Amino acid sequence: MKVTVCIGSSCHLKGSRQIVERLQALVAENDLKDKVELSGKFCMGNCQNGVCVTVDDELFSVSPDTVDDFFKTNIFAKV
Amino acid sequence: MNNLCTDIGYQSVNKFGEQLCGDRVEMIEQGGDNYVVVLADGLGSGVKANILSTLTSKIISTMMANGMSLENCVETIAATLPICEVRKVAYSTFTIVRTIDNREAEIIQYDNPQLIMLRDGKNYDYPKTAMEIGGKMIYKSKVDLRENDYLVFTSDGAIWAGVGTSMNFGWERDQIIAFLEKMYNPDFTAKTMSALLLDECCRLYGGKPGDDTTVCTVKIRERRSVNLMLGPPRDPKDVNKMMSLFFAKEGKHIVCGGTTSTLAGEFLGKPVETLLDYLDPEIPPIAKIEGVDLVTEGVITLSRVLEQAKSYHDADAIYADWNVKQDGASLISRMLFEEATDINFFVGRAINPAHQNPNLPINFNIKMHLVEELSELLKLMGKRVKVSYF
Repeated sequence: MKVTVCIGSSCHLKGSRQIVERLQALVAENDLKDKVELSGKFCMGNCQNGVCVTVDDELFSVSPDTVDDFFKTNIFAKV
Repeated sequence: MNNLCTDIGYQSVNKFGEQLCGDRVEMIEQGGDNYVVVLADGLGSGVKANILSTLTSKIISTMMANGMSLENCVETIAATLPICEVRKVAYSTFTIVRTIDNREAEIIQYDNPQLIMLRDGKNYDYPKTAMEIGGKMIYKSKVDLRENDYLVFTSDGAIWAGVGTSMNFGWERDQIIAFLEKMYNPDFTAKTMSALLLDECCRLYGGKPGDDTTVCTVKIRERRSVNLMLGPPRDPKDVNKMMSLFFAKEGKHIVCGGTTSTLAGEFLGKPVETLLDYLDPEIPPIAKIEGVDLVTEGVITLSRVLEQAKSYHDADAIYADWNVKQDGASLISRMLFEEATDINFFVGRAINPAHQNPNLPINFNIKMHLVEELSELLKLMGKRVKVSYF
């Protein structure tokens, strides 16, 4: 599974770093390093709804507050 | 015209406890590739020394700028500078370096520590002629310059470093030469070389300089261009034109901005690989595109570069910072401030709708303003800057 977090200017200001760091921690905690590939991308062309995160090409809008729920429903449940 | 340029950089520290520096460096560009640098050291310290050295360096540089011969200037200064009643010495000592077309230097020295010349990293003994002008012994030299020649000259604060504390007789010329030879790296800019030597002086002084200390370096280096692109063009039809012009330029290429790097990747037919390493929590990670030397986020990164450019001429705190860090902004700063002599900005004027949100500190005007302000600061560093808008 490939999870990509937008780290462009808009998303960066809306909290990309917190999301990246939280996802990295969650992936490690749940022993998913072999199954989930985390990566970054500059701008996904959907800045208004940042922070943009894609899971295997499906686009989500995540904020630092919702990152834990997002992980549970869209990453952990689907692996 | 040759492919060389003259890089001049200096740095000073004040005598411990003093607000003003008694040393003064004045630089004048005489059109083309001719420069005059004057380092004057006023007798004593504090206000008096500051006024005297300012007077000396200003008189010399202004006269030179108006086309008077070096001899004439020195004569005027030597005749004008009063001899101190108590100490029986002149009020201000000076070193003048004049470079002509990056090929030749005239060096005039009056009572400052003898200028050190490094060629290929080794001390180079240049000829000196002594002459007496107005009762003062002045040493004059004429040397041919080559690429990577460094001329390092200081006020006497440098050779007094450590007297009575870490060394008995201060830091002698031979020891300074040994230090410079040891530290030598042809990639060092004039500013870096000066900062290194000055740092060592401060260390020998135990952090409390006993005299104003100034180090000035003149370096002959190859011209090198760095090109930086920021933002997509206002008219999407111009993307190819902007990219072709940008990548046709000689030198290194920096691409800033998310959309811009995506477009650059498409143009080059290469993927944009974004890294996820936050080397600085405030600066977004960098990316990689084959064929581009550096890819970063846009406005946030460049705002940091601007901050670092503003602090370039001040003392050391942030200077040291960008010199070693690996985040996108520090990497750009190093390429622009150190490597580049010629900088071409390619600025796209497309408006990113997502940035026009009043809650975000990155709107269109800020972007335009950033480039303007940065260009001005780079010009102050002696860079040739060209900005093209698309």
